[in-house]
Amino acid sequence: MILITNTLIDGLKERIANAVSTNQSTGIIIPSNNYSDLICSLFEYMDTKPDAIWVYLTITKPFESLFDDYSNLINNQNIIFIDCISHAAGISKEKSNCIYIESPSQLESILLEIMNSYKNTDDKKNKYLIIDSLSSLVIYNDAPLVTEFFTHLINRTRLSDITTISLTIEEELNDNIRKILYLKSDKIIKLKESFI
Amino acid sequence: MEEDGALIINEKSNYKKMEGDSMKENGKCKTGIDELDRKLDGGIPKGNAVLMVGSSGSGKTTLCMQYLINGAEMGERGVFFTITEPLFKLTKNIENFGFYKKKYVEDGLVNIIDLRIISERLGLNSEKYNVEDASALLEVLKDIADELEVKRLVIDSITALCYRLQSDEMIRDFIFKLGSSLAGMGCTTILTSEIPPTKPGELKYSKYGIEEFIADGIIFLGDVNRRGDIIRTLQIIKMRGTSHSRTKSAMNISSKNGIELTPLLKSGE
Amino acid sequence: MTDVEYISTGIENLDKLLEGGIQRGFTTLILGSPGSSIEILGKQIASTDDVLYITTEETKDDVAQTMERFGWGISNIDFLDISSKFTQQILKGIGRPMNSFEQKSKSKILELIKEGSSSILPDSNRKFDYLADLLDSIKKTTRKKIILNTLDFFISEYPEDKVFRIIQEIKIQNSGKKTALFIILTKGVHSEILEKKLEGISDCVIELEVLQKGSTFERFLTIKKLRNYAKRIGIARYVVESNGFVLETVERIM
Ligand SMILES: Nc1ncnc2c1ncn2[C@@H]1O[C@H](COP(=O)(O)OP(=O)(O)O)[C@@H](O)[C@H]1O
Ligand SMILES: [Mg+2]
Repeated sequence: MILITNTLIDGLKERIANAVSTNQSTGIIIPSNNYSDLICSLFEYMDTKPDAIWVYLTITKPFESLFDDYSNLINNQNIIFIDCISHAAGISKEKSNCIYIESPSQLESILLEIMNSYKNTDDKKNKYLIIDSLSSLVIYNDAPLVTEFFTHLINRTRLSDITTISLTIEEELNDNIRKILYLKSDKIIKLKESFI
Repeated sequence: MEEDGALIINEKSNYKKMEGDSMKENGKCKTGIDELDRKLDGGIPKGNAVLMVGSSGSGKTTLCMQYLINGAEMGERGVFFTITEPLFKLTKNIENFGFYKKKYVEDGLVNIIDLRIISERLGLNSEKYNVEDASALLEVLKDIADELEVKRLVIDSITALCYRLQSDEMIRDFIFKLGSSLAGMGCTTILTSEIPPTKPGELKYSKYGIEEFIADGIIFLGDVNRRGDIIRTLQIIKMRGTSHSRTKSAMNISSKNGIELTPLLKSGE
Repeated sequence: MTDVEYISTGIENLDKLLEGGIQRGFTTLILGSPGSSIEILGKQIASTDDVLYITTEETKDDVAQTMERFGWGISNIDFLDISSKFTQQILKGIGRPMNSFEQKSKSKILELIKEGSSSILPDSNRKFDYLADLLDSIKKTTRKKIILNTLDFFISEYPEDKVFRIIQEIKIQNSGKKTALFIILTKGVHSEILEKKLEGISDCVIELEVLQKGSTFERFLTIKKLRNYAKRIGIARYVVESNGFVLETVERIM
């Protein structure tokens, strides 16, 4: 079992790196069982580009508990976190590199804070956005709204030359979200539990 | 009486129009809130008196303060007349915002004045103004604006002021005269209008129903309900002298950036 | 075990409810809703022992008059009459109203602008610092009981956090000098946070409430908090008679 997971992580990281290097908008569909493996690979990948500007949007886990094993990431001032769930759960500690959104239904505020995060940053640096995850937004919002949000978001990030990685959890995926993810992504990485 | 009022309003809009023609180039007063200026096609037409409407907590005071601070940033002097909140409370709240620059207040680019102190000093009855009281107050407001050479003026709130005026006629007269003399000075005015939280179908933009007809523009701060969460919205209802967007924007208030706007997602309305 | 020294509140049944009175050095916050006769309670407490009485809404004469009506002497009281000082300051500061001719003069307009924006100038520009006066009087007094009737005045004149800081300092003074300090505050008109913070630093919290029962009103006095004596928390119904507060049924809550 463990052996397989390891291979999975290794393979994943390379796949992500490949996809991201040639595509501006990458979608990842992952079974919930493999979610933490994916996050590990993503963090490892982020670690290989410490000089880039990263914005990490979390709707899945509170900012504080995202990085139990990645403390170097949490303190990297080049990574800006936008945390949509801590506030609603009543656990927001002030942190200089984390922006708290009142609730995941404040989609406009999320858009605003994402785009604000890249303001006044070095233009020559590569800019990335991770959405963790698009499908969990549907828990808090009606699907057509999330579709509209994602459309706006990808339109704007493309204009500003920001590379996006959009995670979706397979079990949370509905037709609406699948459709918009396919439509707005240049590349989809789909993981099966039996993968590799 | 009715006809008189209508006539006056007409005269005023003609006057505005002429002024607008003669200063096409630089005829807009930028609020400094990017998305709002875009919606206004550049800004509020100079000399307009605009009603900023919303229920308590909708962000009227914050927006007006940001308007003045942004003006100061562009070298335009402004004055904020507060009636509902005492100065120390107002400044305490506003100091929490990143846009607030104490320096502008200290340098006199942004003047914050407690209108209650002024009226007390004028010996006005604190509860109800008679016609002479109202015209004394009006004169002083004009004199202050003139003396400070302000290009931006805010009264927060006009509702509280109207409350002290005894008839619809007086309210009409007061706002009209204030608006036209300030317009003459090239001063752009925002009057805040506090309304009760709205019930669907019975939207009114001012408590006395008069303010909204005299104003050159109406900006409405409302909200939409999204699965029980409230999203703040801003909508320009009318604005003489400019083509403007009529769509609702989502409005965000944060300590860091104060008020920011972004288009409202439509499926959410 | 050391002997605890008590100071009587001046109301027999209230002393009983507190099982002896107020411990020396304690700060007592008295909260009352409008209509609870809270302003009378302050005066009745002032009717025994030697007292420093700080009055903000009523002048010294008003207080004396009311106290005499209840048959309470005032020879034991040292007054700090902030109410009169405030009125004088207003009269001095605002002066007579301007006439319309004066309004037109430039220097008068400048003066108006300055006055109208004055309360955001630093505190040193304040004509008279009532908070400093308060702190100073309390530091200097040798009286056993100190009654501040009311704190409301200071909260309306100064930022809340500043008032709170001064109250903390006064509390320390009071505790060091083993006097009994009573702070009277109208309930429900200030921010809830401030009320909670004040309750938090007080050793004893007494609350007066008026409840409507059918067509009549019943008044209750509750000991909400008593530091180190949780068992003495209790409630009593009261009426105000010609000789002051009468506590009727007394119940222990804990
Ligand atoms: N520092 C702040 N950060 C974010 N939001 C704030 C801050 N201060 C106030 N607010 C929000 O702004 C609102 C107050 O806006 P305000 O301009 O006073 O409203 P109004 O004048 O319409 O009553 C409050 O309801 C609060 O939600
Ligand atoms: Mg306000």
